[in-house]
Amino acid sequence: MSGAQDRAEVIKAIKKIPLLSTSAAKLLEITSNSDFDMDELIDVVKCDSALTARVLKVVNSAAFGLVNQISSIDRAISYLGTRTIVTVALEETAGPLFEKKLDGYESQRGDLWRHDLRSAIAAREVARRSKGDLPPDMAFTAGLLHDIGKAVLSDFLHGTCQDVLEEIEQHKISNYLQGEQDRLGIDHTEAGYELAQLWQLPEALKVSILHHHQPAEAPEEFRPLVFAVHLGDIITMMGGCGTGADSLQYQLDKNYVDYFDLAKDDLYLIMLTVEEEFAKLAQSFSDSKENSG
Amino acid sequence: MSTLVLGVGDFGASNSSDDIIKTYALGSCVAVVLLDPKTRTVGMVHVALPESSINKAKVKDKPGYFADTGIPALLSQMSKYGCHPKGQGMIVKLAGGAKIMDPNDTFNIGKRNALAVKKLLWTLGLGATSEDLGGSYSRTVSVSLRTGEVVISSPGRTDWKI
Repeated sequence: MSGAQDRAEVIKAIKKIPLLSTSAAKLLEITSNSDFDMDELIDVVKCDSALTARVLKVVNSAAFGLVNQISSIDRAISYLGTRTIVTVALEETAGPLFEKKLDGYESQRGDLWRHDLRSAIAAREVARRSKGDLPPDMAFTAGLLHDIGKAVLSDFLHGTCQDVLEEIEQHKISNYLQGEQDRLGIDHTEAGYELAQLWQLPEALKVSILHHHQPAEAPEEFRPLVFAVHLGDIITMMGGCGTGADSLQYQLDKNYVDYFDLAKDDLYLIMLTVEEEFAKLAQSFSDSKENSG
Repeated sequence: MSTLVLGVGDFGASNSSDDIIKTYALGSCVAVVLLDPKTRTVGMVHVALPESSINKAKVKDKPGYFADTGIPALLSQMSKYGCHPKGQGMIVKLAGGAKIMDPNDTFNIGKRNALAVKKLLWTLGLGATSEDLGGSYSRTVSVSLRTGEVVISSPGRTDWKI
C-alpha cells in the first residue's frame, strides 16, 4: 500500500473537478448566514436564466399539484423555500457528480444523490428539535453536501469493499473511514473537505463535510450543525438509503443529546417525514426534467 | 415470470410459481415473508416502524408501514388466495432490523421493529422458522415462489439464503 502517493492522486483528481456555477456558489454563501436577506437570494436566481427556468419548472411540476401555474420567480422561490432553491442550483451545476455511480462502494447510479437529499431532509428535521437556535435550512444544505467526497474517492476504491467489511467484522478497524484511510491515506470526509476548499464553500459547510462522522471534533461554534448532519446521515442509512457497502459501518456519537431533544417517537416522525418529503422532491425534479425534453 | 417489487411500507402476495417477490435496501426495516405450503402462496411486507399509533393517518395510505398493521394487511391479502386468515400453517421468515454501530436505545429502531413483528406474530401463534436480523448492513431480500428460498444480498458481501 502506498497511502501517501494515493492521497496525492486523489487530491490531483479533486483539482480537476469543475467549479460550481457562480449562482450556486453565491446561494450557498448567502444561505450559510443564519439571518440572510431573501431579496439577495432572489436576485441571484434572477441573474441566472437557466436556473430561473429550472426553478419555474420544478414549482409547476405535477408533484406540487398547483391549480394555477406560477410564472413569477419571486413567487416560485417563496413557495418552494430556500432549501429547494439550493437543491435545484446544486443539482444544476454539480448533477453529474452527485448522480455518479459509486463503483468503489458497489453502489448504484443515483444512490449518492438520493442519500444526500434524504440526509438533508433528516438533518433539517433534527435541527428543528435543536435545544439552541440552529437554522433548519442551514442543516439541510450541509446535509446535501456531506458525502460529496465519495464521488471522488469511489474511483480509487474499486474492489476493496469486501476486504474493508471483513476487517470491520474482525475488529481490525473500527469503521469504514479507517478502511479508506488505510488504503488511500485519505477518507471521504477529507476528500470532501478538499473539494469544498476548491469550491470555496462557507466554513460551516466545510466543517460539516469534514467532521460529519466525528462531530465532537468540530469547532464548538459549528458543533450543533455538524451533529445535525451526523444524525441526518445515520437516520438515512437506517432508512435503508445508504451509498453502498459502507452503509451503517460508522459509529453514532451519543453526545447528540447535548444539542437536541430526540425521543424515539421523534425519530419515527423524522423517518416518516423524510420518506414523504423525499418522494415529493424527487417527483418534482424528475417531472421537471421530463418536461424539459 | 414477473418480479413484484415492494417499496417501503408495501406488501404483496402471489401464488404464481414463476414469480419473485423482492424488496430493496432494508436498513432498520424488517421484511416479513409468509409462505403458505397448502396454497403455495407467498407474501411479503416491508415494515418500517413498530407501532401505527405514531401516525394513524399513514395507516390508511400504507398499512404495511407499521408492524402492528402491516402483518394483518398482508394476511388479509393472502386470504384472497385461500390462505388461512390468521396464518395457520404458514412458514415465517424474517430479515432486516439493522442498526448503526454502537447504538443507544433511542437509535435501535431495527431491534424494536423486529420485536414488534415477533410480538404480533406470537399473538397469532406464529414464530419465525428462520431469520436474519440485526447487524450493521443493509439487505435486499427476494423470495422465489418456486423454491420458497429467501435470498439476501448486501453490497460488498456474497449473497446468502435463509
